[in-house]
Amino acid sequence: MAEYKLTVPLTEEDARKLRIGDIVYLTGEVFTARDMAHLRVRSLLDKGELVPGPPMREGGVLFHAGPVMVKEENAWKLMAIGPTTSMRMEPHSGLIPKLGVRAVVGKGGMGGSSLAMFKEWGAVYLAAAPGCAVKHAQAFKEVKSVDWLDMGMPEAVWDFRVEDWGPLVVAMDSHGNSIYDIIAERARKALGY
Amino acid sequence: MGDVYKGIDWEELVRRVVHHSCTGIAPDAERLLREAEGAEDEPAAKSVLGSMIENIGMAGRLDKPVCQSPGFPAVYITFGRNARMPDFAGIFGQVIPEMVGKGFIRPSIVHPLTRKNTGDSTGPGVPNFEYDYRPEAGYVELIVSFKACGAELMNAYKTFTSSTLGNGLKGLKRFVVSQVVEAKGIPCPPGAIGIGIGGQMDVAARLSRRAVSVREWDDINPDPMLADLEAELLETINGTGIGPGGTGGRTTALAVKALMAYTHTAIAPVAVNFHCWVARRAGVRVHDDGRVEMLFWRCE
Repeated sequence: MAEYKLTVPLTEEDARKLRIGDIVYLTGEVFTARDMAHLRVRSLLDKGELVPGPPMREGGVLFHAGPVMVKEENAWKLMAIGPTTSMRMEPHSGLIPKLGVRAVVGKGGMGGSSLAMFKEWGAVYLAAAPGCAVKHAQAFKEVKSVDWLDMGMPEAVWDFRVEDWGPLVVAMDSHGNSIYDIIAERARKALGY
Repeated sequence: MGDVYKGIDWEELVRRVVHHSCTGIAPDAERLLREAEGAEDEPAAKSVLGSMIENIGMAGRLDKPVCQSPGFPAVYITFGRNARMPDFAGIFGQVIPEMVGKGFIRPSIVHPLTRKNTGDSTGPGVPNFEYDYRPEAGYVELIVSFKACGAELMNAYKTFTSSTLGNGLKGLKRFVVSQVVEAKGIPCPPGAIGIGIGGQMDVAARLSRRAVSVREWDDINPDPMLADLEAELLETINGTGIGPGGTGGRTTALAVKALMAYTHTAIAPVAVNFHCWVARRAGVRVHDDGRVEMLFWRCE
């Protein structure tokens, strides 16, 4: 198991060299998107009304998260941010290559169609410690932008600059391996289920 | 008697309880988390548990929400015959938006169909109030629980029968353990697994939530049969290897908590309710003699 310090934007090569169990620290820009943002991106792409660009940039890092923000003197200030349940975004695995995403950060893992997409396109799933929102926020140094606040604070697309954010665990890699599937299969076998 | 309630500033008590609940976890859950961290020998699992413990400390020191998701607020109120109660719905309707404004609660409540966010974490049915009238109770007790909803995604219900409960409750046990295995890391393990048994569907579901929201996670069930069931399931669940965050380890749950009601001979309702490790539970008990006792309180 190796440890990597990676800079965003990530390349396909960055993603391909990672194996499940590796530890990653990220520096650069990270954007958030949850259910509503995925639905809106899909609908806009279908209508040809969205050309992916910042914050959804080539080599980008998509964080399944909705931060707690407060507005102070007209500037957004981050209170806490941590991963949300990634499985909810499983129906949207097709967006990963469309948006150029090379790493998805979340918690709980994703399913088979995402795993296949990571393999085909060259991306990884990184697990962030769940519920550790104050600790994660220490690495979030700047609020770059926010889009689609009409969907509410958690569902808006927030763009942040992070420094040395980690440890994040490679839980699904671009070689068809998922820590979650391996562990669940082992458990089923041991229980005789 | 009764008049002591006149001098109680309920709004300020609710404000203190909500703030305390949002910025840390109940002492019993933290004790269990620390024990689990000590018992983990896999470095990755130990590191995840270490992050959780570190995060709790930081939230307290920096006065920040311990988790970004405030989950769904539920308020459990128990009262006796002498109790005089204020308009709790009105008070929470004031305090919750105030806490949203201060950044302790992320506005996370939406219309269930349009998905439109109300912006201040209020809305019809929110918080979820449960009133429990116990004539002999010499107090009004209020417990506030912010239960995160990633965990709720994996909740399940099944109506068993005398036959499908199985020998030695094998059917019930498999239902619970399978649900934990298939949930993998989704419910933010290691938390507590609530089991509600009996009644009708809604009763089992409510009991399953109550079990993990109101009870201390290291208490012992007064019903010996349920105490045994809890202990056996906890051991089995922690043998699955799902681990903290679902990325492997020996701690998949800190507790299994069961509550039951009697049911009809034709049915055996069973509900499973996941609580993440972030046990945001705090309360206050105002006694009929005027004493005010804070519940599940951390040292400040």
